[in-house]
Amino acid sequence: MTSCGTGVREQRTQRGLSQAELATALGVSRQTVISIEGGRYLPSLPLAFAIARFFDLTVDKMFDPDDEEAGA
Amino acid sequence: MMAFIPPRLRKPAGIAMAGVVFAAAWLVRGGPLWWVAIPALVAAPARAMYLYWGGGQDTDAGALAGSRADERQQLLSLQSRALACNLAVIAAFIGLTVAIAVKAAWWWPFLVILGVAGLGYLFGLLNYGVTEAGTPDDVDAGHQTRSPVNS
Repeated sequence: MTSCGTGVREQRTQRGLSQAELATALGVSRQTVISIEGGRYLPSLPLAFAIARFFDLTVDKMFDPDDEEAGA
Repeated sequence: MMAFIPPRLRKPAGIAMAGVVFAAAWLVRGGPLWWVAIPALVAAPARAMYLYWGGGQDTDAGALAGSRADERQQLLSLQSRALACNLAVIAAFIGLTVAIAVKAAWWWPFLVILGVAGLGYLFGLLNYGVTEAGTPDDVDAGHQTRSPVNS
């Protein structure tokens, strides 16, 4: 099963950001970024939009678990 | 009122205040057990200092202790409090049942706990919008919607 957070991890690493830097940019804790990337926490809609906006992508591209190209 | 207190100090201040009130209760009570106020007065600031230290840690618990939790950490806290409340209600129900069975005189505090929990739950439902059913879409649209079953 594809994790919803895989796209976040891929986008973050592609941009050379640390989890702490992404967390600061989004206004959340580093632990929350880790949980989202690990698929243990689904972000709220406002946070999902903030993440997608930060990476200049759409929410479905970032979080669709059935989309093989999610985050690519 | 809490806005005037820096976030990291809020929980430690609450713990310290609760400790002082608890100690004052033992002093007001008097009698041979007045000295319980002393460990209460020692333990509360110690706990407050521990919380203040914990509030500076880069962990989920630290964020909660420092009153700077994000949405996931607030959800964790909410779930934990809900679990604690459920366990308290179960314990109170067991206590009430046992007290009634053994014809004890101390049954009523359990009933008070159950009553407060029940009223709190109802208040929560009302406060957080269980009554806001909204209007059906046919009312909003100004025309009758047809069910695919009947059409």
